Amino acid sequence: MAMTINRRLMLGTLAGVSALAMGLGAANAQDKLRIAAIVQSLDTEFNVLWANAAEAHPLVADGTIELTVLDGRMDPFNQSNQFDTAINEGYDAIIFIPVDINAGNDPVARAMEAGVPVIGSNTLISDTDLYHAFISSDDVLAGEMLARSVIEKINGEGNVVIVEGMIGQSAQVQRLEGIQKVLAEYPNINVLETRTANWSRAEALTLVENWLISNGGDIQGVIAENDEMAIGSLEAVKAYGLDPATVPVAGVDGITDALLAVQRGEMMSTLQDANALAQGAIDLAAAAVQGDAYTPVAAVWDVNGGALVWGGGTEKQYSVPWVPVTADNVEELLALRDGA
Amino acid sequence: MVELAQKSSEARNARFGRVVSRYGIVLAFLILFVILSFAHQNFLSTGNITNVLRQVSINGILAVGMTFVILTGGIDLSIGSVLAFAGIVAGALVTGADPSNPFLAVAAAIGVGALFGAVNGLLVARFKVTAFVATLGMLSMARGATLLISDGRPVPNLSADFRWLGQGFVAGIPVPVICFALVFVIAWVVLRFTIYGRWIYAVGGNVRSARTSGIPTRMVTFSAYLIMGALAGFAGAILTARTTSALPQAGLGYELDAIAAVVIGGTSLVGGVGSVVFTLVGVLIIGVIGNGLDLLGVSSYYQQIVKGAIIVAAVLIDRSRNAQS
Repeated sequence: MAMTINRRLMLGTLAGVSALAMGLGAANAQDKLRIAAIVQSLDTEFNVLWANAAEAHPLVADGTIELTVLDGRMDPFNQSNQFDTAINEGYDAIIFIPVDINAGNDPVARAMEAGVPVIGSNTLISDTDLYHAFISSDDVLAGEMLARSVIEKINGEGNVVIVEGMIGQSAQVQRLEGIQKVLAEYPNINVLETRTANWSRAEALTLVENWLISNGGDIQGVIAENDEMAIGSLEAVKAYGLDPATVPVAGVDGITDALLAVQRGEMMSTLQDANALAQGAIDLAAAAVQGDAYTPVAAVWDVNGGALVWGGGTEKQYSVPWVPVTADNVEELLALRDGA
Repeated sequence: MVELAQKSSEARNARFGRVVSRYGIVLAFLILFVILSFAHQNFLSTGNITNVLRQVSINGILAVGMTFVILTGGIDLSIGSVLAFAGIVAGALVTGADPSNPFLAVAAAIGVGALFGAVNGLLVARFKVTAFVATLGMLSMARGATLLISDGRPVPNLSADFRWLGQGFVAGIPVPVICFALVFVIAWVVLRFTIYGRWIYAVGGNVRSARTSGIPTRMVTFSAYLIMGALAGFAGAILTARTTSALPQAGLGYELDAIAAVVIGGTSLVGGVGSVVFTLVGVLIIGVIGNGLDLLGVSSYYQQIVKGAIIVAAVLIDRSRNAQS
């Protein structure tokens, strides 16, 4: 209850401040391209990395594009209100990282109807046809990579546990789908427990501690749907006296702590490329407004030497590849992080 | 003769009723403990007992502070956010190539927590802002400040010396448990045997008569929030050491578990009545339920329902006790 009240309070303050900021912006920047980015929550490291990458987009940095990042505070209702604000304030385009896979559909439909193109980024809504375009990494594939990394390390045999994300979010739904796909291939893998730790490190720590006790330490691998929970699980495994080299723990996202743990040889992770997702989405939003006249500048596109085919920016779906974090590339990835 | 026998049996029943309501919560805890011991073979293992005690120590430290505040008739909703802020401060001091002394980091966390507590205390004691509102405002401000100083990102790479505070052992006992035990014993001695302890109860019991009898009521109220804030800072340092990074989103909703432990322990929300010993029982009940249901593989949704039901039951027992006395 207190949390809801807290959110409302924050929302009120935020709405006031952003309305003021928008008012000032509107007064002097009618000709600028104005983009609103509605993100999940700036309490989470991935969203912060995403927002920092978006602000670092060359055209945002030089002021050609005016970007406003609105913090969804992990609340679908809050995000819905922010859509209304962005539509009313006459933004040219909206970039959206939805909190909830289903609750995100309706606001996107409202914006598209009002003539404001919506570009999806990172997590998805269930009805992706509503989007003007979306750029994401395939979370089903991430789930597969995640499960495979743990299962192959224990030679396809043994007891594993699955620590799930917040139930109902696209990353949880799709990563689980990927995990289950791989599990179907390995009949000798026994899933002892499956429970949510709500993406939280502290919750995962307690949960895996208790699981280790209830199963007498007979757990051979931990599949966590994100890195925060993988780190919590790793601490539980170590505290129980097990060696992370023989009990593999894996996560997804590539947060800094996970990169450090990979460097120490204690866990496995797959990096979600926040730069590509954020800057690619800004290019797509600008192209949606300006059409052929717009030239993309993000490094992820093939026209700029990257891996993703730009194709005039008219495709519906763009899929940013995952980057497995290994002992070989972790130094390089950490160096990039320090610069961010 | 018969009449007499009847009377004494009535008296016995009444006495029995009083014992049940006074120690009902202890009884409930023991029953829970016995059931779980039979329900899962590993529940009573040394490993699990150590595990539960370590898991409850954060909430335990917070609940001890909350007992002080609630005894004065107040409430503190800001502790989860204050804990996160203090954790970031401690983390920032012990990260990187040249970490500070871990005890300095803990002292800084306690100091920062006390500072937030002092602001709460001033608002409530000096400016007569309702505790609920003052600390609700602080909940929001401290969280915002936490995100601001951390840029919304965890502070990683904490020194091994500092992490010992959350992960280490002394003579087989986890360090967080030792911290909690120290806090508990000091609080118990202060509340039970010192004049200051009696003042805390007096202010919560009847503030006007406390003032007439010469008790510095404002200072006492202020001090309760100061203690709460300092303990939230201490808990923040320990939690940070446990999770190996300082997390800006740490402690979300922790105020509710601390309040729940105090209420389950039978401390009256209007103040003046209660004991830190029963708060300990409340803390253990919440911890054992979480642990037991995890061991049995019960959904966390049920845990929340059970916890809520126990809170309501505790208040009902409390009411029947008040009606009797």
